[in-house]
Amino acid sequence: MYRQVLKAQWLAARLPVVLLALLGFALPLLIVTYGGSLENAPSDRVAQWLYAAEKIGTLIPGLALLVGLLLGIGAWAPDHAGKHVYALSLPVPRSMYVLLRFAAGGTLLAAPVVALGLGSLLAVEAIKLPVGVHAYPLQLTIRFALAALVCYAIFFSISIATKRAALVVLALICGAFLADLVLAVLSVSGSASVTTTAFYLLTNWPGPLSILMGRWALFDV
Amino acid sequence: MSNAIETFDLCYRAGKHFEIRDLGLKVREGSIYGFLGPNGSGKTTTIRLLLGMLKPVRGTITVLGRKVPEEMARIMAQTGYVPERPHLYPYLTLEQAVRYHAAFYEGFDMAYAGEMRRTFGLPLDQKLSHLSKGEMGKLHMLLVLAQRPKLLVLDEPTDGLDPVVRRDVLSALLDFCSQGSATVFISSHLVHELERICDWVGVLDNGKLVVELPMQSFKNGIKRIRLSGAPSLVGDTPFVVLQRETTGTEQVWVVRGWQPPMAQWFEGVGAAVKEVMDLDLEEGFVELLRSSRAPVS
Repeated sequence: MYRQVLKAQWLAARLPVVLLALLGFALPLLIVTYGGSLENAPSDRVAQWLYAAEKIGTLIPGLALLVGLLLGIGAWAPDHAGKHVYALSLPVPRSMYVLLRFAAGGTLLAAPVVALGLGSLLAVEAIKLPVGVHAYPLQLTIRFALAALVCYAIFFSISIATKRAALVVLALICGAFLADLVLAVLSVSGSASVTTTAFYLLTNWPGPLSILMGRWALFDV
Repeated sequence: MSNAIETFDLCYRAGKHFEIRDLGLKVREGSIYGFLGPNGSGKTTTIRLLLGMLKPVRGTITVLGRKVPEEMARIMAQTGYVPERPHLYPYLTLEQAVRYHAAFYEGFDMAYAGEMRRTFGLPLDQKLSHLSKGEMGKLHMLLVLAQRPKLLVLDEPTDGLDPVVRRDVLSALLDFCSQGSATVFISSHLVHELERICDWVGVLDNGKLVVELPMQSFKNGIKRIRLSGAPSLVGDTPFVVLQRETTGTEQVWVVRGWQPPMAQWFEGVGAAVKEVMDLDLEEGFVELLRSSRAPVS
């Protein structure tokens, strides 16, 4: 069963998967291409390069988010199109079917993760690092894999939710913005912004999106 | 004989204007049950309730001796379902769709599926999105029959198909039924189609079961009777009066549950039976619906 679900999911999502894998492969190479030769470069140029590499590195959590978004939503797209009639008519418990879909989509995550890993290894091989600078290809790849998995799980859950659940989430988001607007209109000083607090809670430990924040460096001192 | 499908006091509401009311279906094991009703009468909703896809407001459903929705996975393992609209993934090829479907059914008969594919002339490597409506209808039938199910639930399986394809699909269904003792629950608004293949019929109108009886009784029991001297008020009758029309000195009654000895009843009320005419199934169906919407007083 799993093999067939995986195959069906691959056939549905192969184009985005391939494109994401190409992006994952290219990003680490972009960092070294930008750096040029650094073997005997002065320290201020190395620092400048590290800063630029870090900036390019911020695209990697963005890629993890994109991978999670496209594969999470893509996992249910064929069933949504058929209003889930086929899925509901299959002789498996619903929980089992959800697991099959999740596992299949999770397996497809491997493509961009492996591509990023290979790209990172190739990037590290392609450059002679100045003294004191280290490469972290494995750590970056593992972190990317975890971030993509978290994002995938979030978007997979949102995608499977009922219209009512989606409306509740939408209402909460609108409510937060509305609360901020009311606070601003009333010129309430010293009170915390609802959206800022929500963003802080989501993007700081133990918030689920905290894995996307912080430094994403392939190279560091 | 036990029932393959049984519902009791089944109620479902969708929005303000549509509901299934007090539905009590009994589909006998081994029968071919035609579920008739006009468009929008609730046939598809009823089927979705039977298959646990919708949650009833109240009532109980038993399919193949198991409770819905608690034992849905086991029920579906023995049930072949052809929905009203194609639901298979359009980006798969026919071969991929068959393999995908087969993976979920232990007893899927791949050899039989191959044989049917050749009979139907379906191309293996064609994407489903490129199949015609007729080919899609054949593929659905192929998939459910190769499951070797105990129960087939077919929701307007031939709707929109040309007569040749319709014949192919129904022939395949009848072939399958002749090989074993599967129960078939087939919904349609095409009355003549069901007339040929069904041995039981249930008529649904506006969410309510109007009648459920053997096809033979349905076909033979509805008559148009030309009378003279019929009373204007009708008391208790040994049959069900579906419609009454007065033309000059004559009256034309449409009745259900008619048997020849019942002519004596008319003599008892001072009326004379001039002619008893057979109605074909479609006429009977229309009269039934008419009477259910505006009962004769």
